Amino acid sequence: MNSQLSLTTAYIAAALFLIFSTSCTTTTVDKYHETNLKLNLTGSDNIVVLGRRHYSDYETEPDFIACIGKRLVKGKNIGVISEPAFMDSVYPWFEPRTAPLGLKRLNKMLNEPMIAKPIHAQNIRYMIWIDGSTQTTDKEGSVSCAIGPGGGGCFGFATWEKEAVYEAIIWDLNSITENGRVKVNAKGSSYMIAIGLPIPIIAQVQDQACEGIGDQLKTFFAS
Amino acid sequence: MSIQIKSSLNAITLTALFALASCATHIEVTGAFPRAISEQLPINSVLVFDNAFRTYKFEVYEGKEVSIAVGQTQVDLFTVVANSMFEATTVADAMPTSSKADLIVVPNVEDVQISIPYSSQLKVFEVWIKYNLQVFGPDGEPIADWIMTAYGKTPTKFLKSDGEALNQAAIVALRDAGAHFIIGFARVPEISQWLDGKRLRSGGQSHVAL
Repeated sequence: MNSQLSLTTAYIAAALFLIFSTSCTTTTVDKYHETNLKLNLTGSDNIVVLGRRHYSDYETEPDFIACIGKRLVKGKNIGVISEPAFMDSVYPWFEPRTAPLGLKRLNKMLNEPMIAKPIHAQNIRYMIWIDGSTQTTDKEGSVSCAIGPGGGGCFGFATWEKEAVYEAIIWDLNSITENGRVKVNAKGSSYMIAIGLPIPIIAQVQDQACEGIGDQLKTFFAS
Repeated sequence: MSIQIKSSLNAITLTALFALASCATHIEVTGAFPRAISEQLPINSVLVFDNAFRTYKFEVYEGKEVSIAVGQTQVDLFTVVANSMFEATTVADAMPTSSKADLIVVPNVEDVQISIPYSSQLKVFEVWIKYNLQVFGPDGEPIADWIMTAYGKTPTKFLKSDGEALNQAAIVALRDAGAHFIIGFARVPEISQWLDGKRLRSGGQSHVAL
């Protein structure tokens, strides 16, 4: 009886310790403005946020791009065109194979009326390129689960670390210039403890990175 | 006793079904493609999609069992792209014996390869498609024959199934095939020569190649 009670107490203590000691994500944000002036956005101007997808070993996650778009809109009068809608409107000129990697090529593309037309039709003034990804950097421990005729359960302890590294670059499509950069680095540890039922305690690394980069990008714009 | 045996059998069946379901991935690629931005060439084209192309299915049984049916979706892609590239396009099931068209385009799938995190240890699902594109004149005389590769990948995501991820990677690969076809078509030396001979290429076409 006593040993059962101490096991339950230990289980609750471990769960509480994990709940309070985790969800800790360290986020570092660096930003660089080309000038001290805020970027102008008139009432009809829009922004498009796009992910870089040309590297072979990683890919900027589409849901991260959508998250930044939502963050930009929140609390500010900024119009954001969604990435899939923009990609469809200019297909095939912003696919991983064809997307401009520099301003020189963007200028060339905008000088081509049939490519410039749908971009201007959507009143896109700024293009924000996001490059990076969230990776699992370390893993330890293990959780095993078993199922049998009498029921099932899990036992073990696992921990893993995630790191999100992203860079945003703002391009002005009117002046074909770069206006600034924001870099974010977020790290966090997640845990899973299982005594019968698995209890995951997940660090929201990507969400923190999105919040950090989105909030800093907002400071670039005047509206 | 019989209740115990029944519940044991149920548990075994459930476990077996779960194990089987987690081992095999079968998908029929679905997706839509937007109209492409391309200077329309004043060409009347015929697209020939034979049965093998229309029903193409990639299957792999080593390690994890995976099958991807891309047939109908690639027919949709080439139809949309050709409609954007050429002034008029018709679709046929077999090579026409004689045609009033300027060009007959026959795409074939040479190879499909996939890579999944289970085997590659990378956090991305990848799909490669290798096409052999053959272009013939109205009387069936060969004009050009070239290999075109397409690539698509998608990152892994918590609670996203392998099927969903592979479908997304295949759609990215097909979009890439469309981009490659549009940009590369007039750059194929034989096609370029044929276009110059027919004086069909406008100033804009080479400019769009960027």
